[in-house]
Amino acid sequence: MSRHYSEDDLILYYYEERPRSGDIQAHLDGCEQCAAAYRELSATLRMIETPQAPERGDQYGREVWQRIRHRLPEQDVPWWSAWFRADRLAMAGAFAVLLLAAFVTGLWWSSGRQTAPVQPVATNGTSASGQAAKDDAARQRILLMTVADHLDRSDRVLTEIMNTQAGGDISAEQGWAEDLVSASRLYRQDATDAGEHSVALVLDDLERSLLEIVHSPSMATAANLDQLRRRIDAASLLFKVRVLGDELRHREQQDTTRPRALSAHIS
Amino acid sequence: MDATEVSAVLARARQGDSEAFRTLVERHGRRAFQLAFRMTGNEQDAEDVVQESFIRAYRQLGRFEARAHFSTWLHRIVANCSVDLIRSRRARNDYTSTDALEPAEQPEAEAPDPERLAASAQIQRNVASAMSALSPLERAAFTLRHYEGRSIAEIGKTLGLGTSATKHSVFRAVKKLRAALEPLRGES
Repeated sequence: MSRHYSEDDLILYYYEERPRSGDIQAHLDGCEQCAAAYRELSATLRMIETPQAPERGDQYGREVWQRIRHRLPEQDVPWWSAWFRADRLAMAGAFAVLLLAAFVTGLWWSSGRQTAPVQPVATNGTSASGQAAKDDAARQRILLMTVADHLDRSDRVLTEIMNTQAGGDISAEQGWAEDLVSASRLYRQDATDAGEHSVALVLDDLERSLLEIVHSPSMATAANLDQLRRRIDAASLLFKVRVLGDELRHREQQDTTRPRALSAHIS
Repeated sequence: MDATEVSAVLARARQGDSEAFRTLVERHGRRAFQLAFRMTGNEQDAEDVVQESFIRAYRQLGRFEARAHFSTWLHRIVANCSVDLIRSRRARNDYTSTDALEPAEQPEAEAPDPERLAASAQIQRNVASAMSALSPLERAAFTLRHYEGRSIAEIGKTLGLGTSATKHSVFRAVKKLRAALEPLRGES
């Protein structure tokens, strides 16, 4: 093999993260330049020893408990469990009885009077349009959850960029943004298809800013960072991303099945 | 406590039984502190992270999947709480990790010579200083990789990053630490 290994390759090799590490070992055996680079890298990394945490006794867990026991919040309830609460079940039962009574009354009324033609009824008890509506609702819920997670991750990248100091290396944020851009495109398309135009608009803004981050120099100057931040600020992007993320989670928890316009202040 | 008992405790805790949650705190507190200390490099911050992590864990217990390990789930929460704490301190420009400046105590039997001890202390200082200069994500990714021995895939899952971003965070951290330690290589 003629090419030399990069520092990144050697770092992965040091941490045993490289597939086919036999290849690189063979190269290091025959290439003094790479072998020297690897020796330097590993010698430096071996200098960084795991810091010893201050000792905590057997009672430590108990002490932590004493400090937090009065601060425990309400537990978050999964969206689906809300439907299995006793009061909801009782209400659903009462509603089912009323529905049945109405159905039986309707049958009795129509058979007694025979004044109107009877509409055909699906034999399997569930109409095709009803099933399609359920499928749509499930798809909608998945989309809401996925986009909300995507917005959380994007929030982190944008926050990192907003807090980066001039002259800093932003290649990690760029790698992260690159991962998010392709996902953002897919979600934007899904949102458009689902009629979630406000969501699609925010994702469009987000995608532009992420692309700008990806295409900025890795060693960002003050001017580069200023430009990125101005774009994020101008679109109120962080605000929109956070509000939309919260809104989608709220909607997902409410098990909303019908697309709903976002608050006017987002779009 | 065997697996059945752990499951029973978790099930009770998920139903809001605070005594059951107390068992979990007592069982996992020390491990959580060790991780929080390595992530933040500061004893008081580590204490804050431990408390915040357990409070967050209690709130989110409903989302915990019973088939997963509680310790793995808690590990993820501690790591993210640490990132959040460092990030918030950074935003206020008051973050420094100072405890790592102290070299680990040596057993008396080894009694290193003063010169070697001084060099080791200098290395620790440079490491602490360079770690403080890393971004919160770089620091977290490096800590999980170098100190905790987690794989890139595990780190990505823990921090909610893609593989590429996780690798880049580790690369950048290593490069910055190398730059900080390079002058000392001959002395070590």
